[in-house]
Amino acid sequence: MGSILQIQGLKVFYGVHEAVCGVDMDIQEGSITAIIGSNGAGKTTIIKAISGAVKHEGTILCRGVPLPPRENRVVRQGIVQVPEGRKIFAGLTVEENLRTGAYTVRGRREIDRLLQEQYEMFPRLRERRQQDAGTLSGGEQQMLAICRGLMAKPKILMLDEPSLGLAPVVVNDVFRNIRRIRDEGITVILVEQNAKKSLGICDYAYVIETGRVVMSGTGEEMLQNPEVAAAYLGSSRK
Amino acid sequence: MTLQLLISGISLGSVYALIAVGFAIVFSILRFSNFAHGGMISACAFIGYFFQASFETPPPFYVTVLFTAVCGVVMALFIDTIAYRRIRKKQAPTLYYFLASITIAILIEQILSVFFGKNLYGYPQIFESTTFYIGSIRFSSIDTLILVVSLVILTVLLFVINKTRIGLAIRAVAIDPATSRLMGINSDVVIITVFAIAGALAGISGVLLGTKYSVYPSLGASMMIKGFIASVIGGLGSLSGAIPAAILLGVVEIFLTYWLGSLATPIVLFGIMLVFLAIRPEGISGKFAKDKV
Ligand SMILES: Nc1ncnc2c1ncn2[C@@H]1O[C@H](COP(=O)(O)OP(=O)(O)O)[C@@H](O)[C@H]1O
Ligand SMILES: [Mg+2]
Repeated sequence: MGSILQIQGLKVFYGVHEAVCGVDMDIQEGSITAIIGSNGAGKTTIIKAISGAVKHEGTILCRGVPLPPRENRVVRQGIVQVPEGRKIFAGLTVEENLRTGAYTVRGRREIDRLLQEQYEMFPRLRERRQQDAGTLSGGEQQMLAICRGLMAKPKILMLDEPSLGLAPVVVNDVFRNIRRIRDEGITVILVEQNAKKSLGICDYAYVIETGRVVMSGTGEEMLQNPEVAAAYLGSSRK
Repeated sequence: MTLQLLISGISLGSVYALIAVGFAIVFSILRFSNFAHGGMISACAFIGYFFQASFETPPPFYVTVLFTAVCGVVMALFIDTIAYRRIRKKQAPTLYYFLASITIAILIEQILSVFFGKNLYGYPQIFESTTFYIGSIRFSSIDTLILVVSLVILTVLLFVINKTRIGLAIRAVAIDPATSRLMGINSDVVIITVFAIAGALAGISGVLLGTKYSVYPSLGASMMIKGFIASVIGGLGSLSGAIPAAILLGVVEIFLTYWLGSLATPIVLFGIMLVFLAIRPEGISGKFAKDKV
């Protein structure tokens, strides 16, 4: 498969505060890469930099080509972010939310096909497609946010804390679907505080602390690593 | 008589709706009340007047409407470029938009006053006081024309906003610009589109008001106040609230003028707006209630 995204020397500043201080990553095509770390470590900032939502130093290459510095152009490259906190458009219907996800997709028939795909995956969304998306439950909103991301036909889907604030049963559901998305051939970057679950499903993982990669390895290796266990596995069961 | 007043009120209200919607659409995206809208209405009323007057035989009305709408678009984009774009780039507080828009409004009005302040300009008299009857009800052809044009424009606009790709993008950016960009929406393009739509609406309402009243530099300012009242009553930034509110306002205004005269009427109208702001600041629709103003 090979590498699809290479990040070298990534730095992000908020004013004078350096939130990401020289991060290197190599994302393999068709894999799930987990980025774990505690609150404020810089995980969201890293994927915002990939999306072009924050200014950065260093290089981000997709198959050797630098990514454009603007969100809408990054999406057109097939790199799509599902933001932290779901951020569905309350006030738009479920179906309209899905259609915003397909903003860069051309052709009415193609968009209808994508819609059907999402509805088949989550019949609940079909039932509620004319309903204000703001009235969905937290779990349903997360499914909607993921489907909205899939509507863009991504090569790389970046999920920021998809399990945040969800009941354990729903969390299992979300993680099952993340694996299924990977199995369909989409590269997944999974940002999570739920280290145990994400290390369980990922192919490779990076551990971030105060803007730096402090450890990396396969999910298996990380799960067995005593340092990881001490720092993240004890307290991560929310 | 009552029915004639009602129709006249709906016709007036439909122009207020055009103004209120032009106002509301900018508010929904940028969260500021674009007072420059009134200046654009005045300027476009004059443009329409001189366009119409420059022909020996006046062109069909829709030609004047289209021409002025295009001028309105150009003017709106020009104003955005010189006054608003930098505020956006610097992500400065909304207050700066507000100040810039008032400055532009006054500037346009003053420029118009310097050149055309001494006279009233009446549109070439093609529509003047012609009336027709359906059954026993007398219709003014100006009122009817205004009503038809306004309703057509409003229908087209609502279709664009609710049924098209760019309309969906506009609604998404109004709700959450940062997340919209993650969907691949270019929010700068959406903002420019919104200014273009507002400009076209200003142009069209300028011509319609010019034919109904005569044209003078503060025409837009005084009419925009009505659009503003309507968009407050409808819920700032809400298109679905602004339209019924504007039509209601037009009807109330016509009836009040009939009963109380044209001097007392504005007092009552502003009284209504104050009451609304006090008891229901989110307007009729109640949508977009938070983080407005
Ligand atoms: N918009 C911002 N302005 C200033 N500082 C920010 C901003 N966003 C995040 N930060 C800071 O950057 C650091 C990393 O934040 P973030 O990437 O959100 O962490 P994580 O997603 O790992 O919880 C934190 O110290 C946070 O306070
Ligand atoms: Mg985060």
